[in-house]
Formats: sequence, structure tokens, C-alpha cells
Amino acid sequence: MSRHHSHAFEATCSDCGVTKAAESPNELIEFYRRHSRHTSHELVWTRADVAFELPAADDLECVVVKLETHYDEGVPVGIVAAAMSDRGATIGETLESIRDVRLTGALYEPRDDHVAVV
Amino acid sequence: MTRWNNGLDEVERVSEDITDETNALPAQYFTDREVHEMEKEKVFGRYWIYAGHANCVPEPGDHFTRTIGDSELIVVRDHEGEVRAYYNVCAHRGSAMVEETPMTDPGNARRIRCPYHLWTYDLDGSLTNTPKSFEDARLNPDLEDGEVAELDADRNALLEVRSDRIGPFVFVNLHDDPPLSLEEQAGAMKDELEALPLGEYQLARRYVSEVECNWKVFGGNYSECDHCQANHQEWVEGLELMDSELEVDDYHWVLHYKHKEDVDDEVRIHDEHEAKFYYFWPNFTVNMYGTANGYGTYIIDPIDENRFQLVADYYFQDSELSDEEAEFVRTSRQLQEEDFELVERQQRGLESGAIAQAQLGPNEHTVHRLHLLAQEAYEA
Ligand code: FES
Ligand SMILES: [Fe+2]
Repeated sequence: MSRHHSHAFEATCSDCGVTKAAESPNELIEFYRRHSRHTSHELVWTRADVAFELPAADDLECVVVKLETHYDEGVPVGIVAAAMSDRGATIGETLESIRDVRLTGALYEPRDDHVAVV
Repeated sequence: MTRWNNGLDEVERVSEDITDETNALPAQYFTDREVHEMEKEKVFGRYWIYAGHANCVPEPGDHFTRTIGDSELIVVRDHEGEVRAYYNVCAHRGSAMVEETPMTDPGNARRIRCPYHLWTYDLDGSLTNTPKSFEDARLNPDLEDGEVAELDADRNALLEVRSDRIGPFVFVNLHDDPPLSLEEQAGAMKDELEALPLGEYQLARRYVSEVECNWKVFGGNYSECDHCQANHQEWVEGLELMDSELEVDDYHWVLHYKHKEDVDDEVRIHDEHEAKFYYFWPNFTVNMYGTANGYGTYIIDPIDENRFQLVADYYFQDSELSDEEAEFVRTSRQLQEEDFELVERQQRGLESGAIAQAQLGPNEHTVHRLHLLAQEAYEA
């Protein structure tokens, strides 16, 4: 099996055409941070192979509530970004809204780059 | 006076007097890996450290684990009803015995059994049972069964850690000969807290957050409210900030905040018209809220020199929260988030290497105390 197929997650930069595949969703978040720091480009999620259906709720808090049933110690922000990309949010936008909702006290970060609902 | 890293200036120790010009702990103590290692011994290995709440382990055998520095501890209620602490280390060959068990989800065991070779200990720490293979020498041709001595229950017991209490708060001390008793370290705070019915309240919520700054940066932020006007705008609306008071004792300080609107005395654990926040050196706080019948605690646990874990626990009369209580907790979380932004930003500045020693303001005498205690600990 080629390495390529074993990667469950993938994101693409439409500005420069770079595609990045990764085993874990947060690896793509790391990649996004580096890439956008250097180029200020946005990244769009193109593949997320997870064992469950990504929730289709519209607001971030509801999405995290639904995802939390699949994770014990907080939802990786990459998964949140993958779910939010279904309704058109870029990774940067999702990270920005996570920050906003954390500031209202409704979300917290049990581990680095993982979120949970208060 | 602020000292920049301009190649000329040199830092000095924290001056005893806050009006002296070198009144802050040099920046290096917030950023250096070796300082973090040193603190494991000099701070977390010498002083009384909060381990957890006795109400979380109500029955004999109930236990939770707690890591302090490099030491993993088991805090357990024994058959006599005492709460004790042991190293989570087997007396046989040193295996860790129980898995990480948070206070919110305590385990229960009649005995403590090491999974490696099944040595089993009573809740008082003594060795109660070993498998057959430790009683005879059947696999060892050089040794007669009769020559195998029985293992002594006490001499092969778990290593107990000194513990003591302030009301339901369990503290441990990892030093063999602690320089202070808990009573000495806590001073007036012990009597003040013990006068309150803290034991009647239950753990209702715990939020653990990983934050990217040194634990003392957050400790300093907690200890002053000069940043509140600019950074907690929603919260300060309800406060008379000018009427707040900062009280400094040997190893703790108390921030008193007056609420503009008086809340009904009936619905609060303590009877003054204010919120009271205790910071207890080195890394524990008790938060007496002015607007809710409950209290909270923070554990400010270092992970390394530039990360710590904030464990925020909320205690109410009932572990099920009412809507108002849940809303209250959310507001408290919001304050934490606002502070996380501030402290992470401060850490970035400290790590830039530009500043060598900071300058504290006249109303940051609580922060000065924190820095001074850190320095005293390093020099001890
Ligand atoms: S190390 Fe615990 S029984 Fe052997
Ligand atoms: Fe604050």
C-alpha cells in the first residue's frame, strides 16, 4: 500500500496548489500555521477519513458538543476544522472562531490544540 | 528600574523592599529549563503542596493520583477513615502501580496491587500479600525453600508521604524533614478557611487547561488586579475596584474585591460582602466568590519552564449545578481565558530575551511577595 493511501487527512492551498496529507488532524493544523505564517494563504480541508460522520450543526459550540462523544480528552482542533470546512469555513476562520468562543468561557482547552465544552 | 538585556546591565536578586529598584525576579527564572528542574526540588520538594479534596474520596479505598514534580502519588482513604498519600511506586522493583486516576473520577480498591508481580498492599501501606513465587525458591537450585525469609509487611511497605489538612483540603510535603509545618506555612489562612463549612460542599466541575507560560507568570497575574480594568471589562463593571484590598502574609496573600451590588448573605459560603481570593505559595488558590454560594480552587501545576496546567475546581452544595451556577462557572471560565491571553503574551515577551529584570508597581506587592518567595526557595 502506498504511503499516500494511509493518510486520513488532507488539506490544500488553492493559492499555491500545495497539498498536505497527514495521519492526524492536528498535523494539518501545524502545517496550516506554518504555511500561513510564511505566505498568509488559507488552507481548505480536502479529506477527513474518520470512523464517524462529521456533525452538520451550524454553530461551533454545537459542533464541538457532537464531536465530544467521540473523544475523551477534548476534540482535536483539526477535527473541528474539518467539520467546519463542510460549511465553508477555512482553517483560519475556524481557529479564529474557536478563540472567540473560548473567550466567552464556553469552550476550554484540556490539552494543547484540543477543545471541550464547558 | 527595568533592566534590559543590553549587554551592560546585570540583574540582581529580588530586593526585600518593593520600593527598591530591583524588585522583580529576573526574567531568566521564568524561561530557563534548568530553573524548572531546580524548582522540582527547591519549591515542589520542600513546601506543602495541595493534593486534593477529602470529599472526593469518601469511602475506604477511594483514591486518586497526583503528580508533583517528578513524583507520582496515590491519595487514598484508609480503613480508619484517614486520608493518606503514598508514592505510586511498588516496594518490589519500583513499578508504578495504579494508572492515572483524576480526583473527578477516583478509583476504588480494597487493596493496592502492583500489576507487575502482584505484590499487594493494605490501605495502610503494609505489604499484605505476595504470590507463591516469592515464598519458595523452587526455580533456584542454589537456594533451599527453607532459606527463604518471609517478607516483612512493614519493612516492605509503600513509602508514605507526609500529609496534613486545612479543612477538607489535603496537602502533602515531599521533604523528609519539612522546613515548615503546614500550620506554619498557612498562617492565618488555616484558621480563616477552617472557620468556613468547606467540607459541606461537593466538587461539581473541573476544568483542566494547558497554558503556554511559566507557572509563576500565571501566579503573578492571579495576584494583582492592575490588569483588570483593561482586560476584564465585563467583570469589573460589577466591582468597586478602588475599594479592593490586597493583604499580604508570609506565604499567602488575599485579594478582596467588593461587589457594587450587594448579594444576599443567605446565599454565600462566607459572610462578607465581597469576593476573597487566596493565593497560597507556591501553587494553590482558594477562590471565595462574592456572587455564588460556592468556592473554587486552582492548582497551578508546572509542566515545564514555559507551560503549566491550570486545574480549576468548582465546589457547590450540590454536585449538580443549577442554571445560575452553571452560568457562574462559565463567567469564571471566561475570566480564565482572558487571563490566558495575557499570560501567554507576557511569556512571549519574557522569552524574547530583551528584558533582564522587570519593574513592579507599588500595588503589585503581592507579586513582589511571590517573586521573593521564589528567590528565597532557590537560595535555601
Ligand atoms: S514491581 Fe511491583 S510486584 Fe514487582
Ligand atoms: Fe485576570
